Amino acid sequence: MTSAPSLLSAVGHADPLHSIAGFAALLREHGMKVGVAEQQAFVQAALAVPVARSAKLDAAWRAIACRDARDWRRWPELFERYWHPQRLTGTVRVSGQTRPSRDIRQVVQTLHDELGDSAPKRDETRRAMDTALSAAPAAGESQDDAAARAQGGASRTDALHDRSLSEWLPQDLSQLELLAERIARRLRQRLTRRWHDQARGTRLDLRRTLRASLRTGGVPVNPVWRAPRRERPKVFILVDVSRSMETHAQLFLRIARAFVGALGARVFVFHTRLAEITPLLQRDSSAVQEKINAVTAGFGGGTRIATSLQDFHRVHARAQLTRSARVWVLSDGFDADAPECLAQELAAVRGRGARITWFHPSPKVPASAAMQAALPLIDRFVRLNSLRDLALAADLLR
Amino acid sequence: MDDAALRESLHRAGYIADEALATTLWLAGELQRPLLIEGDAGVGKTALALALAQSQNRRLVRLQCHEGLDLAQAAYEWNYGRQLLAIRLHETQGDKVRESDLFDRSYLLERPLLQAISSEQPCVLLIDEIDRADEAFEAFLLEVLADYQITVPELGTLKARHIPQVLLTSNGTRELSDALRRRCLYHWLDYPTLAREIAIVRATLPGAESELIEQAVAFVQRLRKEDLSKTPGVAETLDWVRALHRLSFKALPDDPAQLQHTLACLLKTREDRFQFGPDKLRQVLEGRRHEGVAVKSVHAAAL
Repeated sequence: MTSAPSLLSAVGHADPLHSIAGFAALLREHGMKVGVAEQQAFVQAALAVPVARSAKLDAAWRAIACRDARDWRRWPELFERYWHPQRLTGTVRVSGQTRPSRDIRQVVQTLHDELGDSAPKRDETRRAMDTALSAAPAAGESQDDAAARAQGGASRTDALHDRSLSEWLPQDLSQLELLAERIARRLRQRLTRRWHDQARGTRLDLRRTLRASLRTGGVPVNPVWRAPRRERPKVFILVDVSRSMETHAQLFLRIARAFVGALGARVFVFHTRLAEITPLLQRDSSAVQEKINAVTAGFGGGTRIATSLQDFHRVHARAQLTRSARVWVLSDGFDADAPECLAQELAAVRGRGARITWFHPSPKVPASAAMQAALPLIDRFVRLNSLRDLALAADLLR
Repeated sequence: MDDAALRESLHRAGYIADEALATTLWLAGELQRPLLIEGDAGVGKTALALALAQSQNRRLVRLQCHEGLDLAQAAYEWNYGRQLLAIRLHETQGDKVRESDLFDRSYLLERPLLQAISSEQPCVLLIDEIDRADEAFEAFLLEVLADYQITVPELGTLKARHIPQVLLTSNGTRELSDALRRRCLYHWLDYPTLAREIAIVRATLPGAESELIEQAVAFVQRLRKEDLSKTPGVAETLDWVRALHRLSFKALPDDPAQLQHTLACLLKTREDRFQFGPDKLRQVLEGRRHEGVAVKSVHAAAL
């Protein structure tokens, strides 16, 4: 009996409690309320089901985990994704992402072997189970690991889903466009570098003066002057589209889109990695959200702000992050990377001269551990939960 | 009893449950947790409780919730009339009345919740349309559902002899509190698939022609996809097929005019009746001609 679990783990099957805890973490990350009590119920159900009928667990766990019709509809996808990833054909999957294979039957079998039979040991094992369940997320493998840590808050399960931001009225849209225009105008225009030493006045354009003098037989009668050149700052908008931001992403992407039109901003979305979506936003289409979903569908769970930022400043915006650049991050600041990483990456962005503004949907400035360290690097925090917030912020953004 | 046996016995009681529902019901019994069933009106939420009680040979205690439902109607009430009478009786006989005499179990009127808790035999407790009761009542239910006990201040805490199997149903007219949802298992009951609905109608109306049943159910299934203000449930399908059977139809007639007056069984609002004129009706009826093959395959898959 004792050899069975070790044999299993040698083959590569994780401890059943870990698998279940990992599954619970996935559910939590998708907004379901699955606590330790539910996990225990999962285990109880697994113990109650005979091994031969372990396929029943789908329905049993569904009844335990789901709280409303929304959860109910989402369940089959999540269940398949965790337990039978190989069956999910036809969905977008990012290459190189390995998923541990899990076998629900093995899990039930092992649970029965370990916890099912020996009655006197039951209390002890129950206690072991409790500790394993509560500790499991922290000790899981890398994917589970990130997912579990993201729960620190990134998977808050707010029921904002029913307050639909997707119902945009035409007047809202035009108001948003006007706002974006206004903000674009207010962004301080800087002289290009060559004009810095003579900010006022003009400069002789020698080539064009010579060219113009040909008309008058080589005498420069009408010298041509160059006007100082001013440029709008380059704006980069980074939108967090992780699960915790699910409800806000709609609004954020709408706003980002307005800025693509108004000042040619470049827009990126991230949760575990980063992708540029500017080309998608340039075209006017009602299906923007779906396209973005398609782009991000293969991303794993969790939010890795620091990794995404690194990718942003090292690869995507390497050449354009200059002194006049503005980086607008739209995120709730819950990061699954190590807390000090975010500050490092933000410092690197600052090092290039860019100014960072952090837009957060919550009423308070985000206070996660990662954000604490990064606070001094961020120029301004702006609350952004509605168009009204944006209108208020318009005067602050320079 | 495992879930397959439970499904079997529900079937015998006239309720065709799908596998997932049977598993959930079985698990609810196994974990001794209440089961919250949500779904549109007429999908068979209440019928499930009736069938469950019947299949397990248990008593069904039913609490129909409504706005303003309070403790006195749901759990218990002191029988004031009898208490007064007892006081008068004691007075005429000249002996003293002690308070403990008056607050005795025999003066307690048991309402559904207390009935279920104090029942000698295991029973099925159906709390119907919980979303209609107000939040205060929901909070009171938590004690009953979590610990299966009711506290009567004058008597103390009454614990359940046999833990009843509790089913709660909700139409979703109000968002239920998280605390209540947390204590329950959850099942979303959807409209039955074509195959299951045919099986349900067959089981309930064994006399009807099977061609009529198949065509009528397929029609209702198509009707559900239309934009109706009240989507017909299983109960409506049963009514309608029963009506058609009584009118001695062997199959759905091709002429919509013949159906027009039976539609009262299916369409329950004025707008829906108005929307379904002869033309629209013909359109939905015609649907069956192109659908034959696809429906067959769905039929096979679901069974």
